[in-house]
Amino acid sequence: MPNIIKPLVFNVIAECKTSKARASKMILPHGPVDTPVFMPVGTQGTLKGMLPEKLNEMGLQIMLANTYHLGTKPGPEILKKAGGLHKFMNWDRNLLTDSGGFQMVSLLKLAEINEQGVKFQSLNKEKGEVMLTPEHSIEIQNAIGADIIMQLDDVIKTTSPDKSRIEESVYRTTRWLDRCIEAHSNPDTQNIFPIVQGTLYEDLRIISAHDLTKRNLNGFAIGGLSGGESKDDFWKIVHLCTDLLPKNKPRYLMGVGFATDLVVCSALGVDMFDCVFPTRTARFGCALTMTGQLNLKKTKYAKDFKPIDKDCWCSTCKNYTRAYLSGIVTDLPIASTLLTEHNVAFQMRLMQKIRDSICEGKFPEFVQAFMLGVHPDKCYPTWIIDSLMAVNITLL
Amino acid sequence: MKFHILTLNRRAPRLGVLKDVEDRPNVQIETPVALLHTQGGHIPHVTHEVFKLVSNEPQILQISLVSMHCFQETMEYYHGGISEFIGSKDSLTCLTLHDPSNITKQGHHVKDKIPIWTKHGKVLYNSEMYMNIVEHFKPDMYYLLSDGDTNKTSPQKRISKAVENTISFSKQCLERHKKSQLLKNKFVMAPIAGGYCVKARDKCIEALLKEGDVFSGFLIDGLHNNGPEVEFLPFAEVKGVVNYVVKKLPDEKLISVQGCWNPLNVIKLVQLGIDVFDTSYCRILTERSSALTFNIEENEDEENYEINLRDSKFSEDFNPIFDVCKCLACTKYSKAYIHHLLTVQELLAPVLIMIHNIHHYLRFFKKIRECIGNNTLERLEEQISNQYKKHHDKILNKNEDEYRNGFSSGNESEELL
Repeated sequence: MPNIIKPLVFNVIAECKTSKARASKMILPHGPVDTPVFMPVGTQGTLKGMLPEKLNEMGLQIMLANTYHLGTKPGPEILKKAGGLHKFMNWDRNLLTDSGGFQMVSLLKLAEINEQGVKFQSLNKEKGEVMLTPEHSIEIQNAIGADIIMQLDDVIKTTSPDKSRIEESVYRTTRWLDRCIEAHSNPDTQNIFPIVQGTLYEDLRIISAHDLTKRNLNGFAIGGLSGGESKDDFWKIVHLCTDLLPKNKPRYLMGVGFATDLVVCSALGVDMFDCVFPTRTARFGCALTMTGQLNLKKTKYAKDFKPIDKDCWCSTCKNYTRAYLSGIVTDLPIASTLLTEHNVAFQMRLMQKIRDSICEGKFPEFVQAFMLGVHPDKCYPTWIIDSLMAVNITLL
Repeated sequence: MKFHILTLNRRAPRLGVLKDVEDRPNVQIETPVALLHTQGGHIPHVTHEVFKLVSNEPQILQISLVSMHCFQETMEYYHGGISEFIGSKDSLTCLTLHDPSNITKQGHHVKDKIPIWTKHGKVLYNSEMYMNIVEHFKPDMYYLLSDGDTNKTSPQKRISKAVENTISFSKQCLERHKKSQLLKNKFVMAPIAGGYCVKARDKCIEALLKEGDVFSGFLIDGLHNNGPEVEFLPFAEVKGVVNYVVKKLPDEKLISVQGCWNPLNVIKLVQLGIDVFDTSYCRILTERSSALTFNIEENEDEENYEINLRDSKFSEDFNPIFDVCKCLACTKYSKAYIHHLLTVQELLAPVLIMIHNIHHYLRFFKKIRECIGNNTLERLEEQISNQYKKHHDKILNKNEDEYRNGFSSGNESEELL
């Protein structure tokens, strides 16, 4: 077909010569995204008290929103009338929405999955049981209008022992993908990403990745991880999946956002991440730094007149001391906003360091220095040693 | 810092300017002015960085001791002043005792001490402790320690005690002030206590004026016990005593009141000669999810005095809070979006509402100054009065309690934490 506008262009600009890490530029309908990227989560069409103006100024290029929440409130009708979520929330950069399926399985105990979709008890009392089908998920995501939307997948706990059920979920996820593609009404402006499933079974991951990559889509996600499995199992599956997925397309590892995990998984060749952790922990008074976290609720900061992190460029670190933040942290909603800003800036700064070091050909050195900073005693957890060894990086 | 009267009319209503600020020769603040009410050093919900998107004009932050008590020890070790510590070093600061947006508990008096009600309960302050704080905070202006625990219903005994305490606190504080190198150039405001008894007010004024020309201004204290109730205080109640006190005070001095005064009463107080107010009114509105929409300019024709954005009628209203408003909340966000944020209890809702309310309230003060300048304050009063009365009648019909209950839901965002 002539004149198809491609809503996603992905150019790898530098590859690490040692590991599988790469730095890329992804162009989406609402501007560029430099990867590897961390996407903070703005669940209900807002990022925890932060003004979009401020996020813009910080240089944030993409954030997440949750389909389940937005589909419930304000609902697709209002979002459509508003002209989509970008306009509604005054955010003219990129958005990504999940399918809503994960929230149902994790938030709602009563969720039941069958071939048709995910059946759950509506929070809205009058409605009773509601079915979220692949078609319905895409319909809501079309109304939201995010630049990247996710297929509805059949999520199984990574700790589930039932292999036949997991196998079913792999095939069902592919069947649901086809239904999502069929239902998708804005393929010129919204990219749909499939999700590789198969929990910790390598053979199932291979089948899943193989089937999904046959559908010629613009990017792929690795799902069903970060759900309580051991780190030793976790990295091996990530390592396998990045090998299975096409090199010329972005790979998105869902639900991962601890600094160490971001560094390791970037080395394993992942391009996109999201997690509620940095913004959630901010609301509990925790500030992230390159060497760990500070719990500002502790009284030991009462006379500490240093910023959270002297190397951080965020306005919280420019204007406020640990002593001040410590005094307001449990008391004022504003403290949440200030720490959220810092934590988002921290994630951005970490990803910038990852990208810069890849581009400068010094990624392995960066990884070594980072891990030493977190573990100055050099007592590295074995999964970190093993995973980095798998991509030829040895720690100091 | 010095106060200069600009209008020929040296007494009410008048225009003035605060200038010659230490180390900041270019800063000028025109009066009548609203100090920015803060809690823990911040305008509620609005970070200093975000406030820069609301206004670039110089401002005075009203810092209440009660919300900063937790930093009492910290500040002993901190070298800078309070404005730098709270992250707003370009702002001027004014230290006061209570938070005007919260009700101050009555009673619990102890000899030579004043109770303040912090988040961790009651703390007693005497003059020495208070002046230690003043020296550590180094605010540009401050009120001397006072006993303002009186209101319309206070018995004579309480009133006398309040005056007695205030005189003695003021003298003790002043002694420290005179000795202090650090405070030499700070703007000192003396509290006038005495409830609604003019004799008691007289006594307080007389005693303080005896101290000589050390005060740059005065606070008419003890009119109420702070909190949202002040919004509904009938002006007729306060008029007599305020008018009396203003006339007794030297006319070249700055005069302030504190509290959540509604705009109509602000104008009336300005007409009596009050120069300084605060923005605590914006907080109580924001906490009940209300945005100010009263008309300031004559060409503005919004019907409602204020709107409650929780109202489901706004769920599909994609217009801004106030059509002609140039604030960040109105230029970029719709009522429908703010309504959505409120229904899902997101932190950004009060941020946006507060941005608008502060912007609106500061614009209102600018208009007051303009109207004093061209002698049209009465016209502004009439215009706002019509709208306010219509609104007030509506609330009375609706049952005042139900209306005020909006306030209790205001803490939801905090519960989210």
